[in-house]
This record gives sequence, C-alpha cells and structure tokens, in this order.
Amino acid sequence: MKKLYTQVIKTHNEKPFHFTRIENASYIVKAYNPICGDRFEIFMDIDSKEINEIYFHGFGCAISKASTSILAQSLDGKTLEEAISICNNFLNFIDRKLESDEFLLQEEFLAFSGVHDFPERYDCATLSWKEVKSCIESIESK
Amino acid sequence: MVMTLSLKSIKSQFPIFMHRPELVYLDNAATSQKPQSVIQTITDFYEKENANIHRGLYELSGNATRRYEETRKKIADLIGATDPKTIAFTKGTTESINIIVHSFLKKNLHKGDNVVITAMEHHANLIPWQQVCKQTGATLSVIPVNTNGELMVEKFNELLNRNTKMVAVTHISNVLGAINPIEEIVSIAHKKNIPVLIDAAQSAGHHSIDVKKWNVDFIAFSAHKMFGPMGTGVLYCKEKYAKQIDPFNFGGGSIKNVEFEQTEFLDYPYSQEAGTANIPGVIGLGTAIDFINQLDSNEVVRHTKNLTDIFKDKLKSIGKIQIIGDAKNFGSIVSFNVENIHPHDVAGFLGNENIAVRAGHHCTQPLLESMGISATVRASFSIYNTMNDVDKTIEALIALKKFWS
Repeated sequence: MKKLYTQVIKTHNEKPFHFTRIENASYIVKAYNPICGDRFEIFMDIDSKEINEIYFHGFGCAISKASTSILAQSLDGKTLEEAISICNNFLNFIDRKLESDEFLLQEEFLAFSGVHDFPERYDCATLSWKEVKSCIESIESK
Repeated sequence: MVMTLSLKSIKSQFPIFMHRPELVYLDNAATSQKPQSVIQTITDFYEKENANIHRGLYELSGNATRRYEETRKKIADLIGATDPKTIAFTKGTTESINIIVHSFLKKNLHKGDNVVITAMEHHANLIPWQQVCKQTGATLSVIPVNTNGELMVEKFNELLNRNTKMVAVTHISNVLGAINPIEEIVSIAHKKNIPVLIDAAQSAGHHSIDVKKWNVDFIAFSAHKMFGPMGTGVLYCKEKYAKQIDPFNFGGGSIKNVEFEQTEFLDYPYSQEAGTANIPGVIGLGTAIDFINQLDSNEVVRHTKNLTDIFKDKLKSIGKIQIIGDAKNFGSIVSFNVENIHPHDVAGFLGNENIAVRAGHHCTQPLLESMGISATVRASFSIYNTMNDVDKTIEALIALKKFWS
C-alpha cells in the first residue's frame, strides 16, 4: 500500500494544486469515469496556444485527485505543444513505454510507479491526462 | 424429506474458499460465490450431457430438454407460482425488465402517460423505463426515499393516476439494504388496475418471495446472485398478462408456424426464448435451487442479518464512519463512508488485505446524488460469511485509518 500511496500522492490528495472552480474558463474538460464515479472538471484558460491558467475541481480517489493535481501543476503556463509532450510522457510512463530513469520524466511522475503493480488503478491515474490531452490536441490542430 | 445443510460448515461447499482460504468475500450483492454442486452440474453438462433442447429425437437431447424444463418447475415452486409456464428464462434481471418494457408496456404507452419507479432503483430498473418514456413522450415519476433510506410509501398514492401504466419497484435496495413493503405497494397499484414489476435481484434465493401473497404481476431476477451461474435470469409473468407479451427476440425456437409472409409465435414463456438458450446456465440454476432448498431459510436470514447488525455496530464504534441508510427493515447490505478517505481508496486498501468489497455509485447514481454522496463502500453478506470476516474487515478499517492519519 505504501508503494501505491506515496507521500507525493498523499500530499497532492490533501493539498491539491489549483483546486478551485473558475468562472469563464475558455475550456472546461470533463474527466468522468462512469464505472467508479470519479468526476473532475479541469478549467483551462488558453490564449495564443498557451495555457495561461489551469485549475480543477471535483471528486475522486486519492490516486485520481493527486494525478489531476500534478497534471494541473505540470501544464500551468505551458504552450500547447509542451503540454501535449508532458501528457505523452506521463501516459507513456504509466503504460511502461518510458523507463523510470528517463530524463524526460518529472520527479513527481515517479510517485505513480505503484500503479504498475495495481493495474485496477490504471484508470484512476490516467483519466484526467487522457481527456486533457485529447482536448489540447483538438485545439492545437485547429 | 430434504436434508438440511448447516451454515456452520457451509463454506466447505464453495471451492473458491478452498483455493483462496484468505478471501473475505463481502461483495455478494454484486454476485454470489458458486457451490461445488452448481459448478459440477455445468461441467457435467458439457462433458457428458451436451445437446441442444427441443426436437432432438435422441436421448441426450431429451435429457437436456427435461432438465431445462425441470428448472422452470423448480423456479415456480421457489416463488410460489402454480404454473411453470409463468416462468421465462432470460439473460438476467436487466433483460427480464427490458422484455416488459419493450414487449409489453411500449405499445400501450403514449404521450401524457406515466410510469412510477422509486428513487432507490438500480440503473437496470431505471434506465429502461426512462428511455421508453422518452421515446413515447410519457413521464417517469419517482417515489422519494427519506433520510433513513426508506421508501416514502405515503407519497406513492399521490403519484398514481389514471395515466399510470406501470409501477416498477425493487424488493431490496442494492445500496441501502432497505426492504420495501411489496404487498402494500402492489395493493395500492392494483386498486387502480396498474401492473407492478418487482426487481428481486437482491432477494431471490435469500428472502422469501411469494407471488400469490404479493399478488405481483412481473418479477425479474438473476441466477448469479443466488449461487447460480452468470448469464441466466428469470422473468415471472402472471397468467393474466402472458398473452400480451410479444416476442422480445425473433428467431428459432419461439414459433408455431413460419411462412415467408408471416409467423405465428408460441405462447409465453417460449415466445421469449428464441435462439439457443444458456442451457447449462438454466440447468445450473436448477442445481442452485436444489442447494437453496437444502438450507433452512429462517437460518439464512437470521445468520446474514446477525452479521450485518454486528458489522454495523462495530463500524460505528470505529468512529468517523458514516453508515448510509438506517432503514428499520433491511437486508444484508451495508453502505458506508470513512471520513476524508475516498471509497476507492478504502476498497483498494481492503482489497490488498484480501477483503472484497465494492466501491462506487453501485449503479444508483441518481439516488446517491440526491443524498449528496458521490460514492460509497458497500459490504454485503451471504451464508458463507463468518464472524471472522466481520472482525478482519473491522481490523483492516482501523489499520486503514492509521495509514491515512
């Protein structure tokens, strides 16, 4: 259990980054998992191909909440191109397509390595990342 | 005289506990474990008796047909129905309900009509009615639940009117554990000539069902929650309505005569059994009923209720645990939440300790939302659970709280 619920995950679960609902966000991404009932909304203020601000709100397990918190922290202030690349790095790491010593990985991503041993928590870790990536890709391609 | 099986040694009848002696299985509301006799019946069928039913003029086919039909009789006896022809085999509770929605109700449901359900229905007894109402312009009315998680039956009569075409109610809530007063509900609906469907998925095989006493029109349940195989279900239909149910699936096995221009169908229940059925599933359900008949039904209720009572008391003594629902009359289901710990994290922690519980909205999203809850942890007890299961779960919950503190 300690391998799954690392200190980084516990901290982000208790004190999530930018955990606020914001009005008038230019994009609101819904990350809902109908099977388990996780429901997050990610609010992005995107201007000139850059994420000026990113906030999130909602409810879900500690893994999904911490994962969404780290997502928001990682993408805040990034260009869309950078954001897609960060999303790919995180998802590839969870999918074991990137090794943990890979220089592309942020240190906090490593906190999710426990998910490799708990495959039933895969969706908890990846849900928000997949939805946000898909949204950013569709904006980028316009 | 059938031999009665004692619950003290009942666990030994379930091979999963031999293969997984550490398993504390408290997810019985999702599916029950299967006794050796049911597993053996299915294996024997495929190994020694495999043949399709009806019209095979050889011994194997005749035997398969006989055993398939014997299960119909066993089901009828179990629920107090006089005629086995009131029993149709389906894929499960969901399909049984959909048959009544699409093959019975839909043709008589029009704009301005309404269907009455309760706030505590499983999605299986909600979405089919909701969708048919949308398709026809009818309205879905919902009997509310009070803060104890009990149905507000006093509101029921107000919702019924001359345009009510159907009432559909669960016998036992799969989240709150509340047991609904079926006889009273049926009696109120019948005063206005409204047919009633009961979702008995959580009660069949564990609690007494008596179609004559209830005077109910339709009952739906699944084999897999009553020690039988998955993929097999039951639809009971009162004789009065049998001729009004059109075939749900069209195909072989459900017909009297076929011409290129038209088809004449068999009567209910065969009209609902087009295509090759899950024959070992049905025969396995027959064995599950034999197993249930060897249990003392009073002891089953007493045992599971006792474990549920003690589990609830011990949960309360841990502190900072909220039990969802406090119905006076409840089954062996307990939903709860641990303060500041998400239900998934609770269930994942328990899972790591070999304790199987379920977390989520349990296919009752509108109910939980109306109670201001997104998800719960649910523990549900069956005949093979023991006081040791209760104690291990409570110990694990205490350890969980320590881990998160």
